[in-house]
Amino acid sequence: MFNIAINDEGVVAVEGRLDAAQAPRAQEFLDQVPDQCTIDMAALEYISSAGLGVLLRTHKRIMSGGQSLRLINVSKHINDIFSYSGFDRLFEIELADS
Amino acid sequence: MNRKLSRSFDELKEIVALTDVFFKEHKINADVRHTVDLCIEELFVNMVTYDTETDADILLEMTPHGKGIQVSLTDFGVHRFDPRDAPAVDINAPLDERTPGGLGLYLVVKMVDSIHYEYQDKTSKITFVVNGK
Repeated sequence: MFNIAINDEGVVAVEGRLDAAQAPRAQEFLDQVPDQCTIDMAALEYISSAGLGVLLRTHKRIMSGGQSLRLINVSKHINDIFSYSGFDRLFEIELADS
Repeated sequence: MNRKLSRSFDELKEIVALTDVFFKEHKINADVRHTVDLCIEELFVNMVTYDTETDADILLEMTPHGKGIQVSLTDFGVHRFDPRDAPAVDINAPLDERTPGGLGLYLVVKMVDSIHYEYQDKTSKITFVVNGK
C-alpha cells in the first residue's frame, strides 16, 4: 500500500511502502508539485532505492529553481537508509520524535 | 520457505507477505525487517530489470540463520553478475553529480552481514545473511 497527497498548506504526505512498483506513481505526483516543497514522512513505512531515486530527481528539479525540498518526520530506519546513501548530506531532514 | 516468482514488480507485494509470515513463524527480530525487505527488493528488481534474456521464474528461498535470516535469490538462464562487482557509488558527491542508478546494489552490499555469489550452468544465485539482534 502506498498513498501520496498534498494538503492545503502544500505539504506532501506519503504513506506506506515506496518501492519499485510504486515509484513511478510517486514520481508522476511529485513532478506536479510546485517549487519549495515539504514532504511529511511520518507514515512512510519503507523506502527502497527506487524511492530514493524519486526523491533525488525531485530534489534536483526543485533546487534548479533555487528552491529546496524538506523531508520532515523521518523515522530512524528511513534515516538510516538516507545515511547509507549519503542523502543526509543532500537533503534538509527533520527527524520524527522518537 | 521456497517460492517461485514471476518477473514482475507486482510480485513485490507477494514478497512482503511471504517475509511477514516467515518473520512471525521464526520469531525474527522486527528490527532487521527493513534491511531484509530492502535487500530482497533490490536484488529481485535488478534481476527483473537487467536479466532480460529469460522468462524463467526467480526462486526466492528463506531459511533461519541463528537469530536472523538467510535469503537466496536464484535466476535461471542468465549471464553471470556478481552484485559485489557493481560499480561503486560516491555517496559524498554533490547533488549535481548524483544519479539514482546503482544505489540499490550498493545498499545491499553495505547493509547485509554477509553475501555470497554462485554461478553455474547459466544459473545465478545470490545468498545473503542478516543477523538477528
